[in-house]
Amino acid sequence: MSLKTLFFLSSDSFHAHVCTNGALAAPCYFSNSADGLERFAEFLRSHEGPAYLLVDLIEEDFRQETVPHLTGANHQALIQRKFDQFYRSTPFRLARLQQRQSEGRRDDELLFSALTNPARISAWLELLLQYKTPIVGIYSVPHASTPLIKDIDSDHLLLLSREKDAGLRQSYFLNKRLRFSRLTPIDPNSSFADAVATETARTHQYLQSLSLTPQGQQLDVHIICHANDRAQLDKHLSNNPDIQYAYLDLQQLGKHIKSPYAYADSDASSLFLHLLAIQPPQANYATPAHTHYFQLWQTQRGLFGLAAATALICLVWSALLFLEGRGINEEIDNFKFQASRMMQEAQQITQKFPSGSANSGGNTASASDMKTAVTLFSSLQHYSVPPEQTLKGLATTLNNFPRIHTNKLDWQMNAASSLPEQVITFNGELADFGNDYRGALNYLERFQLMLTRAGYTVTPVKLPLDFSSKGSIGADIGNSREKPSEFSLKMIWRAQP
Amino acid sequence: MTFSQDDLPHLKLSLLAFLVTLAIGGSAVFFSQKFAQHAQQARQQARQQLADARSKLTAARDDQENMSTYTKEYTAIYRREIIGDEQRLNLIEGLETLRQRKRVLDFKYAIAPQQPYKPAQALDSGNFELQRSAMTLQFELLHEGQLINFFDSLRRDINGWFILDQCTMEWSAGATAQLKADCAGGWLTLKNRNTK
Repeated sequence: MSLKTLFFLSSDSFHAHVCTNGALAAPCYFSNSADGLERFAEFLRSHEGPAYLLVDLIEEDFRQETVPHLTGANHQALIQRKFDQFYRSTPFRLARLQQRQSEGRRDDELLFSALTNPARISAWLELLLQYKTPIVGIYSVPHASTPLIKDIDSDHLLLLSREKDAGLRQSYFLNKRLRFSRLTPIDPNSSFADAVATETARTHQYLQSLSLTPQGQQLDVHIICHANDRAQLDKHLSNNPDIQYAYLDLQQLGKHIKSPYAYADSDASSLFLHLLAIQPPQANYATPAHTHYFQLWQTQRGLFGLAAATALICLVWSALLFLEGRGINEEIDNFKFQASRMMQEAQQITQKFPSGSANSGGNTASASDMKTAVTLFSSLQHYSVPPEQTLKGLATTLNNFPRIHTNKLDWQMNAASSLPEQVITFNGELADFGNDYRGALNYLERFQLMLTRAGYTVTPVKLPLDFSSKGSIGADIGNSREKPSEFSLKMIWRAQP
Repeated sequence: MTFSQDDLPHLKLSLLAFLVTLAIGGSAVFFSQKFAQHAQQARQQARQQLADARSKLTAARDDQENMSTYTKEYTAIYRREIIGDEQRLNLIEGLETLRQRKRVLDFKYAIAPQQPYKPAQALDSGNFELQRSAMTLQFELLHEGQLINFFDSLRRDINGWFILDQCTMEWSAGATAQLKADCAGGWLTLKNRNTK
């Protein structure tokens, strides 16, 4: 909720409005007396929100100056010198840059203004400071009214408004920049229209004397008024080549700045107060000492805001981390459940394994060891060939060849080959062939052939007689009839894969 | 904007609120962070447990399959005293029994100390160590069938696993024993390292 306190100070009156969310409450008037100050102090005790002080005083002076364009400390020193020169006796002074000249040295055009009678404000301000009221600023109606003319297309504009407790305010804007303003009390015996007619003419004359409005240039006078007063004003005011009148409807202006206030007459005090509440000018008459408590208030609010932001960030951050942790915990539960189920299943399987004394004859080997042992045994079985298996084919063949006698039989395993094989060396002799060499050799050849058919790979190592070209043969071979012919064969037996 | 010490009372509440919020909020974030970190660590452990359980289950299933496939064969070779320590006394008794049965005219044997055995072809022996006790045999035989019968009896009647490497049979005329044989081989055992 936005809560502001708006104070309006005129020459004869001082009142306060509480502005809640843009809506102005009824004014509280305080008289400049001991009782009034006491009531004001009471008011301040119960209202701690930021305060805006709007003054509408006759003693406000405006002075246009052209100064060299400076920046930083030099600029500040120049302003201070000008303040001391023009407004030494008041702390409520203001310098606003109007424009920078486009030619020559491109000097700055500054508008100096001041509230020249500080005693008008001091009593109220002292109390405000005493109660540590956060004063946002001290504003004057001419400066506060600037936003109202931004949409009006006029180079020479005189804005007129009536403040019930102050009088008739006339502010002159040259090229939409405030140059001059004056406040004149309204005679209670004359009407608003009469006052406007009289004072406008005087102001026009004054402006011409200052050469602010060139000859032949029309002055646009815009009057802020209530619809009820418009007819009367229209009747009294007539346009001429020098002055042209226009009217700004108070209610419409209020609506434009989203003021819910219902205006009963042409008193524009509430309009300016509302304008101040929603769009305060950056420059104002308050010194840093006056706004000190507002700075404190802002810092305090900033710290509270920072605390709230910190709390929110920490809360969200913690919540996200907590939710992440909780999500992970759910995941962990799921993992544990799965692991437990798997362990249980594994246990059930292992419990079914045969115990040491049941089938394995007292051994307690694991299944993988069983597999290894069996596989190893099976692989090595190839190396363990019974002699019966190796020699069976040889024995059967020998039975069919009775004229071959065995002298020596040797067999040994050759483990180096991919499939274990038995290398057999057969030493024998051929009997009863006499000089029938051809018959003997044919007999031996058939023997080899039968061995080959029985699965052996046969290689002759030594034959009974070497009839090849490489051998040597003697003439008395025929005398060897009684001697059997010896031979030797090398055979290889391979286990069938 | 300048503040003095006198301004502190104005700001103390808001400053305190900010500091307290910062402390509480910071603590909340700190502990939440710890909570989340702890949960992440626990998740890592739980994942590891799950992986362990999964591998145990896989191993158990493999074992189950291996058990059903290999138990019978394993038990058979275990009972043949091929697995475990060499039962040399049983071997000798078995050989003497063969002698008494007169499978051959006579035979002599010599068993060498057991040695680690490395097959010519590399084999995966897993947890098992292969051990071999070399044995040489000299026979006196009436005929070659006796030798074949002897080794047949050796394989069937004696526990253990004898691998015959080589034999030499020589026929001689006129003697009681028509032929003599010299054979060599070895008794093989599989020793499980885990049962040492």
